[in-house]
Amino acid sequence: MKPIDPLVNRVLDGELPPEVLTPAQRAELARLDRVATLLAEVPPASVANRVMAEVRRPLPGVVERLVRWFGERHTVTISVRPAWSLAVAAVLAALAIIPGRAPAPVLGSQEGIAQFVGRFPGAKSVEVVGSFTDWRPGAVVLRDDDHDGVWRAAVVLPVGQHEYMFVVDGEQWVTDPLAGRFVDDGFGRQNSLLIVRPVSR
Amino acid sequence: MNAAARLALIGLFAVGALQGQEPRTRLAGRVPPAALSALDSIVLLADHEGIPTEPLIQKALEGGAKGAPPATIVAAVGESASQLRSALALLRQGGESQPSSAAEVTAVAAALARGVSPDQVGNLSAVLPGEPTGPALHAVADLVGHGFTEDSSVDLIVEAARQGLRGLRLLDVAAAAVLELQRGQNRAIAFARVRDMLPNVPPPPRPAPATVSKARRLTPPTQRP
Repeated sequence: MKPIDPLVNRVLDGELPPEVLTPAQRAELARLDRVATLLAEVPPASVANRVMAEVRRPLPGVVERLVRWFGERHTVTISVRPAWSLAVAAVLAALAIIPGRAPAPVLGSQEGIAQFVGRFPGAKSVEVVGSFTDWRPGAVVLRDDDHDGVWRAAVVLPVGQHEYMFVVDGEQWVTDPLAGRFVDDGFGRQNSLLIVRPVSR
Repeated sequence: MNAAARLALIGLFAVGALQGQEPRTRLAGRVPPAALSALDSIVLLADHEGIPTEPLIQKALEGGAKGAPPATIVAAVGESASQLRSALALLRQGGESQPSSAAEVTAVAAALARGVSPDQVGNLSAVLPGEPTGPALHAVADLVGHGFTEDSSVDLIVEAARQGLRGLRLLDVAAAAVLELQRGQNRAIAFARVRDMLPNVPPPPRPAPATVSKARRLTPPTQRP
């Protein structure tokens, strides 16, 4: 800010007459007079009222302020560490890729659970083929998750009797020795006979 | 012949043709083509006699899946038809007032195939009039399969039925006797112990919740490629 000339200041204070000033100093004195006049003016009543009304208005409620906040534009700054970001991304990807456990089947009154267990060490694949699959392979595949040679599967089947055999490595037909019930299959082997009971007894 | 009669005749022919086509459609591509005509004849004849045809189609599909030669498949299906015919005849002889269900005929045929004699089928039908005899027959077959004599097995199951056990609970009677056998009892003591238990033979364990939750529901065969 430019300081006021001391001579002009003394004229303003009434210590000296204006005639002592140079033309430039008189021009500055005139500017300062105009500013003082402007500052002495009272603002129109309408403006003052509006400003005071705005100042005295009570604060809006929390909900209104929240709505206003969400409606307004904000600058949000997020600072992240790449290591944490990668870890979170890996967890999200794993959740998306790993299949969740399917919900338990809802069993009807005429349905039961059949469990198939067979010990076939060294087998590459084991499945059950029977009357409940129309003797078509591929419908009931057994699993050996812990690689101990014991293959298992559980399926929902209609109540009643069913004939079946294990098919090992896609070609070897094997009678289930644990079935306890057997019938000649008419093709030189024996089918295992399974009697499924309703679960909802 | 008026138009309505002609329409009815055409409908009858169409239904007959469709019925005849259905087994062939299911078997085509699943059994050797050389066996198709003979299998068709067996299935159609069985259907005409009121014998369940589904077990015959299943036997043919089984033969095809196991890679059996055409003649063997036809012979096996013919043998199944004979067993079903015998089962149906036994059930009719037993004075069944209602037409026997396909499941009942199939169960009796399976019991006959497991070695239960036709006489014992008749005995059990007489004890369980108007009720499914399949589970009772399988219970007898289970016992016979573990070396119990057929007569004593039938006696035990008849006794269980007299004490109120029915249906699949009769299988528990056989299971209890087999369990006694596995515990080292001789057959006479095993039977005596089970008789003492009647009618409170233990039911089989229910599948564990974890097993139920893991169980998969199969796609119906008709929807499989």
